[in-house]
Amino acid sequence: MTLGYRPGTGVLHRAHPFTVLALAGTVAVLAFTLSAPLGPMLLTAGLVAIAVAARVSRTLLTALAFAAPFWVFLVLIHVVFGDSPDRAVTVGSQISAVLVVFLMTLAAVHPGRLVDALLERGVPFHVAYLLVATLQSVPELQRRASAILDAQRCRGLRVRGSVWGRVRSVVPLAVPLVLGALGEVDDRALALEARGAASGLRRTPLDPPHDRLAERVTRWALLGSVLGTIAWRIVA
Amino acid sequence: MIPLSSRLLALIPLAVGINLAMGKFAAALSLPLFLDTVGTVLVATLAGPWAAVATGVVSQVAFTVLDGKLMWMAFLPVQLGVALYAGLAARRGAFASPWRAATAGLVLGLIAATLSWPIAFLLFGGVTAGGVTVVTTLLTALGVPLKWAVYGASLSNDLLDKCVTFLLVHVVLISLPKRLSARFPAADLARGRA
Amino acid sequence: MTVALDGVRYRYPAGDSDALRDVTLAFGAGEVTLVTGRLGAGCSTLLLVAAGLAPHVTGGARSGSVTTLGVDPASDKGRRKVAGRIGLLLPTPWTQLSGMSYTVREEVAFGPANLGWPRDRIGRAVSGAMALVGIEHLADRDPRTLSGGELQRVMLAGITAMDPEVLLLDEPTLELDPEGARMVYRLLPALAREKTVVLATTDVDRAVEVVTRVVLLDRGSVTADGTPDDVLGTDRAVALGCSTTIAEIVRVAGHAAPFPLTVRAAVRRFAR
Repeated sequence: MTLGYRPGTGVLHRAHPFTVLALAGTVAVLAFTLSAPLGPMLLTAGLVAIAVAARVSRTLLTALAFAAPFWVFLVLIHVVFGDSPDRAVTVGSQISAVLVVFLMTLAAVHPGRLVDALLERGVPFHVAYLLVATLQSVPELQRRASAILDAQRCRGLRVRGSVWGRVRSVVPLAVPLVLGALGEVDDRALALEARGAASGLRRTPLDPPHDRLAERVTRWALLGSVLGTIAWRIVA
Repeated sequence: MIPLSSRLLALIPLAVGINLAMGKFAAALSLPLFLDTVGTVLVATLAGPWAAVATGVVSQVAFTVLDGKLMWMAFLPVQLGVALYAGLAARRGAFASPWRAATAGLVLGLIAATLSWPIAFLLFGGVTAGGVTVVTTLLTALGVPLKWAVYGASLSNDLLDKCVTFLLVHVVLISLPKRLSARFPAADLARGRA
Repeated sequence: MTVALDGVRYRYPAGDSDALRDVTLAFGAGEVTLVTGRLGAGCSTLLLVAAGLAPHVTGGARSGSVTTLGVDPASDKGRRKVAGRIGLLLPTPWTQLSGMSYTVREEVAFGPANLGWPRDRIGRAVSGAMALVGIEHLADRDPRTLSGGELQRVMLAGITAMDPEVLLLDEPTLELDPEGARMVYRLLPALAREKTVVLATTDVDRAVEVVTRVVLLDRGSVTADGTPDDVLGTDRAVALGCSTTIAEIVRVAGHAAPFPLTVRAAVRRFAR
């Protein structure tokens, strides 16, 4: 299973991040506006073709792993215990299409590249900062959580027993994690200030991605298809 | 958009990290809880509702990206509801005693379940996160209409989850050393010492 | 003088006593000043106050006047004026990581990019700073995989890349081995030719080799200010435990002040 950015040279990797995001957004809308269940199914098939062409086909396996439990429960709820197999297929293929395009986007768009693209278009520094800094701080806190868990296990943390007993066991895990993080806030804030993060000046994107005419045309076309299907749904 | 202070810029990524790390603890203790709003509620008590809303948004985006499951994004209104409610509750001293925290948490559970129910039912046909879906499936198998099965499952989960979340934040607030609590004046309001 | 403190008192929020008491000091370009004292003497606080970050970020209460680069650096107007012109290096490198970089080069470029410099100027500044500190070989590494010592040098490069007029260094060698620490100290006299350099450290043994002035703090007050020999060679400095190992040995051996501070000075005095 592969999740998140994977270096590559396929067409989605070379594309401007906004183009890939536009594709993802278009799919997210089309999945729910195209007539069900045929529309979402064809959409999923088309995305599989794009994934193979863009050499990110490994994400298809991840998508399959994520979508499988949905299909199982949908079949249970709507087919075995219900009587609307159409609804199961519709919701299932809608979720599959959105999952595939989302995982492809994650695999092909480097967060740093996206942030540079955003900064170039004038997105405020603190929005870009929160996006990337959070992605970097989450794994760090996960590591600390593991360390705290190991340490408290050594001291005989109760991991079995009544629900109430186990709920109480969360306290010696949560308190050191939270107090440690809060104790760092001032140091981090000082460091950000010392490096001009609060200067109020417009940050220079370090390596903004190129945006070609063909990609701009593609994005307009994607927007057109979204508006077109919405209009068609309203009229029809 | 109002520029955030550098202290909030530093605090929010850490709070989101707490949101996601708490799930690890719940899993290690095999608790049927997410605890994925502990960081958001904490920011609400330390820095007010708007900082909590920012934390909720960033948290939902990070959760979605890191987990690879776009459907979490659909539950953004729930995170926002939790953030706003917690911020307002904190201002009224909801964390002053364990009883008040637990009660405020139960009310939030009701709100969260009511917010997530239409999303789970309409968008996902009742299939959402592991444990909740098992309950939903069980209820439908027992003959409960899907609509109510989804609500029942969300409610049973959210009441316990939010109650424990508020109790945890209460415990954290009373164990804040003076050196730290002095840096977050809103904390005294939340624990009723203002 | 680029940094001037006049009758400054500062107290942290929830602090029981003043972290700085009636501090009047001035620093200018051309000299490397060592600020030292026992743990909690107020050395770090002095740097934060000079940079304006205390009380701007840390909260608390300050009285007296602080003028850095012509403005009060803690005021809203002053903060905009001094952005990027005061380089403050903090002691723990991990909490200083920007969190926005995927390579060391990007990490060093974080400050200059925040100042909105054009890309070619950022490129030159980053390359120059990495060469100065000797971390070119780390340029493409992920900063989160570096050792503490490597990270501390990356942070120093990140600060010098902004080309600040005032350089405030708080324990810049805490994570470095002795050779790495000596290397960092040796950079300071050259930097001080155009900049105001203030170094706060308890690593007096090595720092004393490069500084031209020493300020000794005790419980928030300035107790001595002068040349290294005048300040650190005294009974008082050695008794406080703030002088060099050599001075301490010479004092314990029963000799009278002024004590030599370095091996070379001791040799000059005793080995005739």
